[in-house]
Amino acid sequence: MTKTAIWGISLATVMVFASRVQAVDFEKDVWPILEETCLDCHGPEKQKSEFRVDQRVSLLKGGGSGIAALVPGKPERSYLIEVIKGIDPEMIMPQKGDPLDREDIAILEEWIKEGAEWPGQMDVVVDEGTDHWSFQEVIRPEVPGKGGNPIDSFLMKALAGVDLTASGSADAKSLIRRVSIILTGLPPTPERVEKFESDSLEDVDGAYTELVDELLASDHFGERWAQHWLDVIRWAETNGSEANLYRKGSWIYRDYVIRAFNEDLPYDQFVQEQLAGDQMGVGEATGFLVAGSHVPAATVGREPTAIRQARADRMDEIMQTVAASMLGVTVGCARCHNHKFDPITITDYYALTAVFQGVEFGGRHPEFAEDHPRRLRAKELQAEMFKERSLLRDGAGQWGEDWGGFDQFQFPATTTKVLKVDFDWPLIRLDELQVYGPKKPGKNLALASAGTRLEVDPEMGDKGNPVSNANDGEFGTMIWKSKAPKGSQQKPWVEIHFSRPQEVSSFRLSLNRDYFFETDYLEQKKKEFPDYRISALQEDGSWVELGGTKKAEKLMSQSADLQAASKRLQGHIAKYGEEGPRHSFVGKFGKPETTHVLHRGSPENPRDEVAPAGFAVIGGDLGLDSSTPEAVRRKKFAEWVVRPEHPLTARVMVNRIWHHVFGEGIVPTAADFGRAGAMPTHPELLDWLAAEFVEPTASDAKPWSMKGMIRLLVMSDAFRRSSEPNSAGINADAGSRLLWRFPPQRIEAEAIRDGVLQASGKLDRSIGGRSYRIHNVKKTYAQWQVVDNHGEETWRRMIYQERMRRVDDQIFTAFDFPDCGQVRAKRPVSTTPLQALNLLNSEFVVEQSDLVAARAVEEVFGAGTEDAVRRCFELLLTRQPSGAELEACTRIANSNGLHIVCRGLINSNEFSFLP
Amino acid sequence: MSNPENLSPHGRGLLDRRNFMKSTGGTLGGLGLAHLLSNDGLAETEDPTNFSGKAPIRPDIEPDHPDVSRVAHHGPAAKQVLVIFCPGAVSHVDTFDYKPDLTKYHGKKPPGIPAVTFEGPTGNIAKPFWDFKPRGESGKMVSDLLPHLGKHVDEFCFFHSLHTPTSTHPQGENFFNTGFTQEGFPSFGAWVTYALGSESEELPAFVAINDPRGMARSGKNNFGNGFLPATFQGTDFNAKNPPSNLARPARYSRKDDHLTTEILKQLNGNHLKRYPGDSNLAARISSYELAGQMQMSVPEVMDLSNEPSSIHKEYGTDAGTDLKREYAKNCILARRLLEKGVRVVQLFNGSDPSGGNGITNWDSHSNIKDTHAMQAEIMDQPTGALINDLKRRGLLEDTLVVWCTEFGRMPFLQGNGTGRDHNPDAFTCFLAGAGVKKGFSYGESDSFGAKAAVNPTSVYDFNATILHLMGLDHERLSYYHNGLERRLTNVHGHVVKEVLA
Repeated sequence: MTKTAIWGISLATVMVFASRVQAVDFEKDVWPILEETCLDCHGPEKQKSEFRVDQRVSLLKGGGSGIAALVPGKPERSYLIEVIKGIDPEMIMPQKGDPLDREDIAILEEWIKEGAEWPGQMDVVVDEGTDHWSFQEVIRPEVPGKGGNPIDSFLMKALAGVDLTASGSADAKSLIRRVSIILTGLPPTPERVEKFESDSLEDVDGAYTELVDELLASDHFGERWAQHWLDVIRWAETNGSEANLYRKGSWIYRDYVIRAFNEDLPYDQFVQEQLAGDQMGVGEATGFLVAGSHVPAATVGREPTAIRQARADRMDEIMQTVAASMLGVTVGCARCHNHKFDPITITDYYALTAVFQGVEFGGRHPEFAEDHPRRLRAKELQAEMFKERSLLRDGAGQWGEDWGGFDQFQFPATTTKVLKVDFDWPLIRLDELQVYGPKKPGKNLALASAGTRLEVDPEMGDKGNPVSNANDGEFGTMIWKSKAPKGSQQKPWVEIHFSRPQEVSSFRLSLNRDYFFETDYLEQKKKEFPDYRISALQEDGSWVELGGTKKAEKLMSQSADLQAASKRLQGHIAKYGEEGPRHSFVGKFGKPETTHVLHRGSPENPRDEVAPAGFAVIGGDLGLDSSTPEAVRRKKFAEWVVRPEHPLTARVMVNRIWHHVFGEGIVPTAADFGRAGAMPTHPELLDWLAAEFVEPTASDAKPWSMKGMIRLLVMSDAFRRSSEPNSAGINADAGSRLLWRFPPQRIEAEAIRDGVLQASGKLDRSIGGRSYRIHNVKKTYAQWQVVDNHGEETWRRMIYQERMRRVDDQIFTAFDFPDCGQVRAKRPVSTTPLQALNLLNSEFVVEQSDLVAARAVEEVFGAGTEDAVRRCFELLLTRQPSGAELEACTRIANSNGLHIVCRGLINSNEFSFLP
Repeated sequence: MSNPENLSPHGRGLLDRRNFMKSTGGTLGGLGLAHLLSNDGLAETEDPTNFSGKAPIRPDIEPDHPDVSRVAHHGPAAKQVLVIFCPGAVSHVDTFDYKPDLTKYHGKKPPGIPAVTFEGPTGNIAKPFWDFKPRGESGKMVSDLLPHLGKHVDEFCFFHSLHTPTSTHPQGENFFNTGFTQEGFPSFGAWVTYALGSESEELPAFVAINDPRGMARSGKNNFGNGFLPATFQGTDFNAKNPPSNLARPARYSRKDDHLTTEILKQLNGNHLKRYPGDSNLAARISSYELAGQMQMSVPEVMDLSNEPSSIHKEYGTDAGTDLKREYAKNCILARRLLEKGVRVVQLFNGSDPSGGNGITNWDSHSNIKDTHAMQAEIMDQPTGALINDLKRRGLLEDTLVVWCTEFGRMPFLQGNGTGRDHNPDAFTCFLAGAGVKKGFSYGESDSFGAKAAVNPTSVYDFNATILHLMGLDHERLSYYHNGLERRLTNVHGHVVKEVLA
């Protein structure tokens, strides 16, 4: 109130001032205002909001908000003017004391308009540089010492620096258990242990090399390492949020990651495919972009501000995924203001959102190259379908097909200008209808955009749901509705008028096709489509009926052969939906809106337009602008990320690999290489590894090879050291970060579960495909419930357990299995009584203990309890029992059953810790 | 050893120093603290992750005893906390926030009412569906919907000017209970447990008592550990359902359990000999001991049969709908847990919508007169009895009670004319017990109850105040996660000093 009054009064002075002609003088007119009003909080003493007004460059750069306080020549874009005018009531300067009077504001505006002359400071430009180590280019350091694995050379140098000696090698049993779990997530079989031990007696290095190469070549390698990557990006198969709906088909991205590791896809390609796989023949790889949780548009309500906020939140999830996984920096802070401690500005954040502005959470048919496994599988199935269809065509001429999301009706090919569909039901609701001909199987001839027009009985129309919704190419939400008047014998119909005569042979219709594609495992009304007949308009104006659903059914019922063919066809269709190039939740792409910096992160405060770009401080300018097509943005950005000179990409990935091999990264904060993260324990080693990753020096090594890097690490002496402590090492470096020993560590939920299943011999080793399910089929708005977390259907590797955001699986979630809510570069390791209860009493462990015992008994061919106990130790712990252990366990097995011994072994520390 | 990733550079520095000091008897070896700190490039005062300008206070968590009691930041008013969460959004204008203007403008649509709110077009102002009467010594106006709670208003400290940034339930629940609308952040109970550990040797430090109908809409987020170690998550059980896998399976006898323990002892003992002094191994061994204790203590605390019939009658386990009886049992369980020293008890009065006709929580978009009444029948008597019982036993001296909901409801009806839509701009919650003023009301909504008007209080402020009452500085209780010192209150929040006793 008071403010308005003051401005009212000062209006007169402004008018007077406006007539002034001479230029504003900085020293005389401007500086006194700044000094008087701003300097206390934004000067040499204090810099509130990281902002000071006594330097022109600081004004140009702006404070923590990231918005330029001064844009020479443009007072209307200068934040300084905005805050002193108090345009945003929550941000008025000065915060204390009286507001500036109108005349002073006018002086500042005039000064800016004239170019903001500041004697002596006109040459200082905004320095966007940084001296933080991780933003500097990698320079390959000299390897200290001579010969051997360079990793050991670096590590030994650091150990020598603190007078520590490295421990000796681990024994063969410990080593094979360790390397098998690290590389494949599964402990070794007793037979492999035996072979390794005897091979090692002959040739230690040879035996180990053979073992490592065998493990790296195993398909289980990809399963283990995909798990790590999925953690980082908190990938899950549900949305999170209100309904936490299942994301149908999203698991094809999980299979992609497993395949990428197994095929040793070079990391630079792995990165590019996940950002722009739609342009590289691996469309499913973009599941990466939509790995995080999201609030679907349908559940945010009707308020436009809430809808915009939800979209901004979805975008932020994409930012977190990209930045934490590939760039190893946190960008979240820069959503609202410049990053407090890293050289990432609010403009950088929104430039990054501009790259992904066309991405939305949802599904699509992924783009696949000709030789993509799913394309090849589709071809096989199409050939099978062709066979059955030929039979049906010859035998009946017309038949129906159930494609899940839609129904398809096939009829004899006819050329016509108008097709008419007469429905047998009084009420019709469809989201889309489509017509196809035999010549171009992929071309929908019913589309309005192809010039086709739909006509319906005007008496049966519904204003809110016009028939144009049925051929607009959009599935779901908007429907066509037609209803026969009460008591009328008439039924709804639709005429499909092509722009010119077309040869047609099949018709599709659907309701909620979108819903069918996007989600699953929901209690839904059974999909029911009406019966109908299809006729074609002849040149003489008469109609000829081409077929009808009832008639087709009748024809089928008359022939066992046709019925069988139809059944086989339906089987192929189901397989096609599962194994073919299916619609999958791997993101969808649209036309990007122009991107703006959102002041204080609010979608209600858009400011300057920003172009798609990477971080300015590391050369992120991609030469793009707001008119750049969506796909090009992602591709260009991907190319920027994998430039060999990018300071973060290789460092972040080799560190991640190091973390998963040694249990702790060289930089322990694996997703934060910024100033808030930890410093590397071995900076030179990290840089050497990064350089070696991009440009390997070993003769047989491939650039960016993840397998190659992992192999390099596990072949080191450091990896092969004993994990047992010694007092000198513990005293100097209890955390074993200098790797004087291999650091002992807990194994994760997956390794426990998979290890038990392998020991019982029940592990189903099939790779990929739909996840096994432990939850119910639920209502849309309800929580998922665990139904069966232990039965035979679940005896696959745990990476194939449906990853449900924030749902407890009631056994392994307690073992720090991520809730997939936030980025998890590293799982915490905790110890809780709930873990103990789950591992002692869950049905899974009860059953598996029985199964391991039964297997042991069977495999010792009735040789007696002692041998069976020995076998249990081999199967579960990779070793023989000691004398005392054998004695006790045999006694217990004899009195209460061998399964009690197995239960004990599964719960032992030894089972849960890497040796 | 603690996981260094979970600490800020500052914390890591201290940790490393501690380990070095411990191991070298105070003298630094060749690789010393100075070296490490210079490696970090950080002197303590420059810790960049620190927003508030105050250094984080990190609980010193012993790996082998993560649940032992830890000291608060300052002398706490409350040692324990009971959170009664009412999912679905309780209508403040029909319960505790008396607005005579609603009666005056009943059936009218004065200017200023938005055309569209969360669920769609808006209708007219509606007077409260229940009459308000002055209650207690303080004469606080409370509606006839909650007569039992109304009896105890002299104990309560109301917040009438709460507001929240979202009008959707799951995000609202997330925001209230984790400080963020997004998924994956630690819950209030996890934060408190992380900071203060447990007062109980035999029960979990944090128990989430879910509604008899199931979990609320945000499910486990409301009591999850987020990115904190799993140790700090709420253990989920109620009067009817014990924690999963607590009971010995039918397959095994007592002797079987005994022998399993014998094997474990032997194997773990042998293993520990190879790794002497390894605290992670020791921690896992002691977790099995605690599990064994829980197998006895949890069924014991869940067994309400020894409670006198007067207690059952007072709480209402003997009358009313089945749901009310079940909820009443949960209330008795809550008291028993608090008596045993459980640090955080979170009691839910509502679940996820089932989509059927039956109501599952306070969400009342249509027929609010019936649906709020059905929900109140469940909540009112048992909750009133619980608070009264705590007071009678002197537990309110050390226990803070928080009654809350994720947002409020609109003073006007929806287009359907029978329900009230979500209102994120004004709602009411109350505190009672240790450290807060009695019979006090803080803040006001406007004359319609549409928006917070006097002393607007954010959920950050509310949570900062609760933490303060627990002896915790919300700006210093933090955990390093992916580059940030994360807090329950993000970078916001002020303690509402006016409500402190």
